[in-house]
Amino acid sequence: MTDDFDTVSEDELHAYVDGHLSEPERERIETWLKMHPAEAEEVRQWQAQAAALKQHFAAYARSDASDRQLVIAHSRSTEAPSVAPLLRRAAAALLIFVAGALTGAFAPRFVAPVDPRASTTAVQSLSEQAQSAFLVYASEVRHPVEVGSDQQAHLATWLGKRLDYDLKLPDLSTLGFSLVGGRLVPVNGTAGAMLMYEDATGRRLTVLLGRNPQNRETSFRFASHAGLETFYWIDREIGYAVTGDVARDLLKKIAEECYRQFEGTSAS
Amino acid sequence: MSHGRDGPGSGAEAKGSAPDEFESDVLALMPALRRYSRSLARSDSDGEDLLQDCVERVLARRSQWRGVNLRAWAFTIMTNLYRNRHRRQAQHPEVELEEDLAAEETSADPIERRRLERALNRLSVENRSVLMLVVVEGYRYQDVAEMLAIPIGTVMSRLSRARRQLAEAMKEDNVIALRRPK
Repeated sequence: MTDDFDTVSEDELHAYVDGHLSEPERERIETWLKMHPAEAEEVRQWQAQAAALKQHFAAYARSDASDRQLVIAHSRSTEAPSVAPLLRRAAAALLIFVAGALTGAFAPRFVAPVDPRASTTAVQSLSEQAQSAFLVYASEVRHPVEVGSDQQAHLATWLGKRLDYDLKLPDLSTLGFSLVGGRLVPVNGTAGAMLMYEDATGRRLTVLLGRNPQNRETSFRFASHAGLETFYWIDREIGYAVTGDVARDLLKKIAEECYRQFEGTSAS
Repeated sequence: MSHGRDGPGSGAEAKGSAPDEFESDVLALMPALRRYSRSLARSDSDGEDLLQDCVERVLARRSQWRGVNLRAWAFTIMTNLYRNRHRRQAQHPEVELEEDLAAEETSADPIERRRLERALNRLSVENRSVLMLVVVEGYRYQDVAEMLAIPIGTVMSRLSRARRQLAEAMKEDNVIALRRPK
């Protein structure tokens, strides 16, 4: 190709710096760099950075005398509670299959246009409150919740009573998240509930529920602040907000799944 | 107490006995995990805290490990813990730089080392972890995308931003630091 030299992308320059290219590709980039001094200078900086970083942290790649004790102590004292029984997983899989088949019925609601400025103060503050709750509690390593997932029935009854609402804890296992637990949090100046979920690698998300004094409905809305994202909606007397540390597509699926499961609750 | 996975050496042994297979695998990863935790952290003690939390979690979650690539799984857990913690630290960004445990073992100029640390501390959590996974830990872009559950395009844009911001921060930081007394 005659235009070979004009087709070097920035991704290829990174791959060149990181040594992910084949020999002919390397040669092509090097020839191109000779004709593009500004890019060549930037690539040189990146190479220098990479060398400095490798050298800077190399000395930390060592074992420590206490490692063995650390590993064995944690391994034998903090075994996690067992994973969900197979039967429950199968039931949940069936549920999401059925829910998937029904998606069409909900679709108009989810694709309603979202204008952030149209949201009411109450809705706006719901997403903000959800994000601060997430920021405060998701970073807690040891005590993120007041009542753990080992007492699910108690958790649902307790938070449901404070919220004056028949609270059913959403099962998000089909999406890879299991319940960590929940706590009571203030929402709009009154008792609200926060549920926390986590995937196997420790990625966390929270579901916040608060009473909505205005008793109205909204479509699905989305708020993003400093890299933290929240999907939220109001359904009559309760406002819901799903906040997480996960990709937006997945977070939306989770919010939709919560919506379906909560919808089941309030319709009954 | 039983341990989810059966294998040579696992199971019914008493406390303090030889590590089982999973524990041995984790032990073998400690140097790599220590380096990665330090490359994310602001100080040596911060790095050790992160490492301990990570090891604790890896062992507590051993029954959820799917049996493929323990190293990548542990790195993902470390990255998530780092992001969780960092949210809290973001409200108090200034942390005293402590003595480097490893400083004596490297030939690099201590002034340069501090300059690099300061520049790294200006990167966002997301950009920093991608940079370290690619440059220091040698992962391929596709592997990083899978480990962090993000599209490969996001990996590339974070890498690009990290490199440019780091270069920029190194350029700006021309303050002469006091040389540490030997």
